[in-house]
Amino acid sequence: MSLHYQLKPKPLTTVLKRPENQSYSGKAENMGNMGNSGQAKNMGHEWESKWYEISSWFGEKVKNVLNSIRYIPFTEVEEIRLRIGQPLLIRTFDRDVFLDSQGNPSSIDKGYRVAREDIVQTLERMTQSSIYAAEEELRQGFLTLPGGHRVGITGEVVLNKGQIQTLKHISGINLRIARAVIGRAIELLPSLTDSKGEFKHTLLISPPRAGKTTLLRDLIRSLSEGVPHLGITGQTVGVIDERGELAGSWQGNPVYNLGPRTDVLDGCPKAQGLAILIRAMSPTIVAMDELGHPDDVTAVRDALRTGVKIISTAHASTLEEARKRPALRPLFEDGVFERLVVLSRRKGAGTVEVVYDLNTGKEVFPKTRSEVQC
Amino acid sequence: MLVFASICLVVGSGGLGLIIANRIRKRPVELRQFLTALALLDTEILWGRTPLPEAFANLKERTDDSWRDFFGELEERLKRGEAAGYAWNQTIKSLDRSFCLKPEDWQVIRDIGKGLGRSDRQEQHKQIQLVQQQVSLLKEQVSTWAEKQAKMWSYLGFMSGIAAVIFLI
Repeated sequence: MSLHYQLKPKPLTTVLKRPENQSYSGKAENMGNMGNSGQAKNMGHEWESKWYEISSWFGEKVKNVLNSIRYIPFTEVEEIRLRIGQPLLIRTFDRDVFLDSQGNPSSIDKGYRVAREDIVQTLERMTQSSIYAAEEELRQGFLTLPGGHRVGITGEVVLNKGQIQTLKHISGINLRIARAVIGRAIELLPSLTDSKGEFKHTLLISPPRAGKTTLLRDLIRSLSEGVPHLGITGQTVGVIDERGELAGSWQGNPVYNLGPRTDVLDGCPKAQGLAILIRAMSPTIVAMDELGHPDDVTAVRDALRTGVKIISTAHASTLEEARKRPALRPLFEDGVFERLVVLSRRKGAGTVEVVYDLNTGKEVFPKTRSEVQC
Repeated sequence: MLVFASICLVVGSGGLGLIIANRIRKRPVELRQFLTALALLDTEILWGRTPLPEAFANLKERTDDSWRDFFGELEERLKRGEAAGYAWNQTIKSLDRSFCLKPEDWQVIRDIGKGLGRSDRQEQHKQIQLVQQQVSLLKEQVSTWAEKQAKMWSYLGFMSGIAAVIFLI
């Protein structure tokens, strides 16, 4: 697609009419002001190729709508949501945008209505026409696409002896776009290590969509590579990538760089994964995403007696909330974790609110804040 | 000259008869190869949970001649994002001429495309098994028929050549 395509005057009225979309009208104007500058050109091509890459996972009609989007920068998009009979929705870091069939922001009633066929086609593309191969993932309600993008799925649950056997009549699909953020870990690492550069048991918490997985990925890479100027040497990191999100593995090939000393166990339940890694790969640090199931917690408590350091994530917005979660409570009671990182979306996904030293209960990050408090 | 022309006529029509006979003999062979491919596909789906593009790539490596091209094209189509059922039918449409199979064979083979990859492993397994039964039944019928027909065509070619020569002389 050409530059002209990007800068083509579009009915800004649609955008301007909707006050909640003003930022997009602003973007469009800014782009227009860029004229023929190379920056606009590059930006356009980058957006387009990214949109094209993502849209190819959707059914033909939805794909066309997504490919026609001009005013929503791909970099701002966090989720693409399909709900049967409801308008196509894109969520950016600060707003929800309904799209019409031309890919323009629209009101709810004029949005492109997602049909059953769109969902079926999308699911076929996402599973490479092999739903049987994604049975296990469907049972857990999500798929992972190449690049670590996670696709949440809802529908009718089929039970077998009280256990979820699979999902049928899929009615909702939510594609969450995964992004690698490189360098965020560096500013955080000094508060997660001791004076000798030894890593401490760390738990990252936040509500959904606040960048836990992205930050964890960056921490894994930094620990694996080592950060000489912080006195941290490269360490063997074992990753239990139960949901295939951390390494973004697709048929065995990791998409994200997790560092030169990282071993990834893809799609493995945490409890079994911990035993395999500790027995076979002698890691110094074991990383895993989303502690929540009591089995995970038991496995972590067990692993602590083997001398490895643990880094993990969990859903909770504050320390108090995390402490009250029944599944996590034993970890706090045992004093398993030494550092707790609280993330939020206050300044966009991945905002580090505070890092607690759980042994003393003091805040160790941001430095300025604790200094001010002192 | 006349002798030479007569020999040419006999050899020509005889050769044609042999070619037709050969095509007829290939039909049960192709059906047998398809049965083997189905068994492999069943294993890939039921035990390996292999996604279809990868399964077809494996089948491509393990089959011969026309079936290799068939599964190769299927793999390509699925990688381009086509739905399995559609890709299956389109591949049949584009490649059926390179096979010696008859329309009734394709009718059975086309059944695999219906619902391919759209259900769980057990369901896929049942569907493949059903087609396997139909294909093996068809293969048995075709084998006896093909042997007779092939014999007939290989004789018929030469015979009609000789008859034409006698008639022309």
